[in-house]
Amino acid sequence: MLRLELYKIFKKPRTYISFGIVTAFALVIQLALVADGKNFIAFAMQGVSAQFDIGGNVLNGYLVTYIILQSLLLQIPLLIALVAGDVLAGEANMGTLRLLLTKPVSRSKIVLVKFTAAVCYALLLLLWLAVIALGLSILFFGTGDLVNMKSDAFVVLLKDDIMWRYIAAFMFAALAMTTVAALALLLSAFADNSIGPIMGTMGIIVVLMIFSTLDLPIFDVVKQYLFTTHMVGWKGFFDDPVPYDAIRFSAIVLVVYTILFVGATVFYFRKKDIKS
Amino acid sequence: MKKCIWILAVQLLCGIQAFAQQTDAEKLFIKLRQKIDAIKDYEANVKMKIDIAYMRVPPLNGKLYFKAPDKMKLERNGGISILPKRSTNMALGNLMPNQSATVIDAGTETINGKQLRVIKVVPNTEQGDIVLTKIWIDEQRVLAMRTETTTRENGTIKMDLEFGKYEKQGLPDKVIFYIDTKEFKIPKGVTMDYDGATKADVEKAASKKPKKGRIQIEYMDYTINKGLPDAIFAENKK
Repeated sequence: MLRLELYKIFKKPRTYISFGIVTAFALVIQLALVADGKNFIAFAMQGVSAQFDIGGNVLNGYLVTYIILQSLLLQIPLLIALVAGDVLAGEANMGTLRLLLTKPVSRSKIVLVKFTAAVCYALLLLLWLAVIALGLSILFFGTGDLVNMKSDAFVVLLKDDIMWRYIAAFMFAALAMTTVAALALLLSAFADNSIGPIMGTMGIIVVLMIFSTLDLPIFDVVKQYLFTTHMVGWKGFFDDPVPYDAIRFSAIVLVVYTILFVGATVFYFRKKDIKS
Repeated sequence: MKKCIWILAVQLLCGIQAFAQQTDAEKLFIKLRQKIDAIKDYEANVKMKIDIAYMRVPPLNGKLYFKAPDKMKLERNGGISILPKRSTNMALGNLMPNQSATVIDAGTETINGKQLRVIKVVPNTEQGDIVLTKIWIDEQRVLAMRTETTTRENGTIKMDLEFGKYEKQGLPDKVIFYIDTKEFKIPKGVTMDYDGATKADVEKAASKKPKKGRIQIEYMDYTINKGLPDAIFAENKK
């Protein structure tokens, strides 16, 4: 059944749009940095270079990958929503959902299999991102120490101490994208065409992301409970020391949200009156 | 009348003594300067620790190149190098006036159980960046153990030095370099930080950090006066 769901996802051209967008985005950033990376780095580091001379290969593959990941922070969840928001609503729209439910399989299992298929897609997209962003960036720019500019700190990580951080960061990102897929799936259960869940997921993520990133005291209480605040937990692996407790908490929050979203989807879908 | 003559004589003696002290201080400074000026260039394997409030940099190992008067470069085998702006200020010679200067004896001070002669050196011209340098000198070994240089544009630069294997050449084994640091802040909306630590943790960590920046360099070995080519210092800064 999972194979069938994966087949359904990967036979749609829109699935490959995401891979194309990720590739294009990464290549555009890489080419832009090849062309004008020095100016970009000089601008980004002007706060530090007023007092220090930074030499060596600052603009290396690790930094370029970090820039790509940072830039795709908002886009990747939207690309996940493009597919995950379609898994139930798309079938409802095409009128195949009733047919699917005639199979001797519980509705819960159908939801879980569709969720698993959406997560597989999300993981493949992340894997592709890792290959394109990390692989090509290292190929174009080489390796070196990583400079991470935080709002209040200038963090330098030695090049031998970076690859494990990327592996951990991609694993954490996979967890975050699982939460996004779960949200899109939930909205997909409520709709009869995929535009609503896709746009809904995008809208929720964009609005919550604003709450999470705006450094206003009024949002301080709320934002620690928003999953969008914890989606950037992968960045914690590029800090020194790594805030493991905070990352663990973020991971727990994302798991809880995922369970809630999937649980709510199962609960609703089991009771849903399927008319199409 | 007799009383006046006595007073004049005492004043004259004091003046002569002061002049003699001034001369001793000047001689000491000239000896120190000569020792420092004998080093035209060096390359040294170094371990560098940067302790700046807003910087989280692991200890950096590398090769430090210096060529008098004003060339310095840290090379880290493909890694990033970080040196303070005007890094040549980390060379002792650049923290002391090298043209004509007035040398004032400021007595003695005991640092780490060692009595050191303190001299103040004021350049006679106003063209350079240095306004005043205070030097704590081990008179027996003719070594500057501490310097405090007030500059026009770079604030006050303090440097502590420890000597060992290369003391005959006047080259330190360890230098701790203190600099004034500026505030570092980028809007969170730009960096999209992950708030791993709570605000209380951040404030606690910030309060532990010294207000002054501190850069410590340990010199493992030196290769001195081998005639380093200028090309070594020509690197594209990124």
